[in-house]
Amino acid sequence: MSDANELTRRRFLGLAGQAGLATFAVSAIGVNTGLVEVLSAETKNGVQPFRFGIITDSHLFSIDNHKFDKSLADAVKQVNALTPAVDFVMYTGDIAQNGREDQLVKGKKILSGLKAPLKVIPGEHDWYLDMGKVWNGLFGKETWSFDHKGVHFIGLNSILVRDFWTGAGMTPLERMSTMEMLESPIAGPWGVRDAQLEFLRKDVKKLSASTPVVIFTHSPLWDYYPRWNFQTEDAPEIREILSKFDHVTALHGHVHQTIYNKIGNLSSAGALSTSWPWPYPPVKLEYPGSQMNQSDPANTKDGMGSQSVSIDAGGATATYEPFANSLTPFLKDGLKV
Amino acid sequence: MKMIKNKVYLAVGAVSIGLLGAVSLWARPPFTDAQLANQQQELLEVVNKGRDLWHGSNPDMSTNGLACGNCHPDAAASNPQTFPKWVSEIGSVAPLRDMINWCIVHPMDGKALDVNSADMVALEAYAFYLYRGQSIQPGLAMPTPPDPVKSGVGFPHKPSGIGVDK
Repeated sequence: MSDANELTRRRFLGLAGQAGLATFAVSAIGVNTGLVEVLSAETKNGVQPFRFGIITDSHLFSIDNHKFDKSLADAVKQVNALTPAVDFVMYTGDIAQNGREDQLVKGKKILSGLKAPLKVIPGEHDWYLDMGKVWNGLFGKETWSFDHKGVHFIGLNSILVRDFWTGAGMTPLERMSTMEMLESPIAGPWGVRDAQLEFLRKDVKKLSASTPVVIFTHSPLWDYYPRWNFQTEDAPEIREILSKFDHVTALHGHVHQTIYNKIGNLSSAGALSTSWPWPYPPVKLEYPGSQMNQSDPANTKDGMGSQSVSIDAGGATATYEPFANSLTPFLKDGLKV
Repeated sequence: MKMIKNKVYLAVGAVSIGLLGAVSLWARPPFTDAQLANQQQELLEVVNKGRDLWHGSNPDMSTNGLACGNCHPDAAASNPQTFPKWVSEIGSVAPLRDMINWCIVHPMDGKALDVNSADMVALEAYAFYLYRGQSIQPGLAMPTPPDPVKSGVGFPHKPSGIGVDK
């Protein structure tokens, strides 16, 4: 780490400690410059304070009473218990482990325990056995947008890869198994691809620059660690399309860990999974303070959980809701995204 | 007297160095290039087997569908170069193979491997191979990354089959 980065980090953490509010610290070093003003202005134009939940990466197996079934049910209970209540719950992909119908059906059944409406996008584990056929049947379109209380929400399918299976003569099961392996070198990088980029262009065309935008994808919209597909190949195009907005909040699953980054007007936060935590990849981070504690393998709940996002005149704050005591003091007050 | 002794030592030392030099000139290398290549190939085959085991090729190792690779992609956070070390879960100083068995029995809910089995050797070979070049630091608690795969480089043009980019 360079001295300058270290200084920034120490100042960052120091301010967080002094203020007792990580959100203040993030604003203070200019991570989200302009967001407060934008949303204050929008409040006048109809942005009302509200909250939504995020659950992700449950990786359900075709085994009855599997420990991950219980974890997902615990996340549902956790989100249902939030006060004030959430307006809706976002699921950012990987309900299933092997893309099987019984796994997706089981996930839908557990998620039906949510009191609030559910919005879903797919992950690679949901998709590559039948190329999304069952997923689409259960959850509808994977590309969508809607407006809620003055905020524009977008969901995209970011796990589309080039056809590696036809030429290799793979069966659907072999294709799925290849995609299941995080570090498989065979499948290649993910992306949202042309049709969804076109959807996005049209979708945001008429929106004013001051509209608060929240975008959901399974993989991060920045080049975090391509080897594990902690990236989206066409994220630069997505960021370009969204560059007209004063501020964009990007929330993603897939990484099974707390993580924050900001590129231009787009700030991103990763989500805790309900299945297992992943180690941080060997990458030098711009905001290392957004890393959680190293998980204890003997604690089956450590490093997992759900999250909530509050939107009000002060901006968007993503708060991690861990099952166990996984968060550093810095993370406990949430991240401004 | 002391000075004479030192001179004797120096003379003996010089002769010894000379002899060592001569011996190394006469000695043949223990293995031919072909033999060395063959040995490396044998190792890589075991590493490759370990990679498959790491990703679930032995069903006895798990009853809940989980494999080592679920939590340790690219053997991340397995840190073989830090063993033997105190392992809280086991309650003693333990080698990597005991930690592997702990993971098989607990998170994976499977049957522990015979610590001298070919499967255990292969799992260890895979983990150690990915951490090759790391300094040996028994007991180190801080996680260190495996043989780094450069961020941003993306994927290898040809799959290596052993889970590394180079």
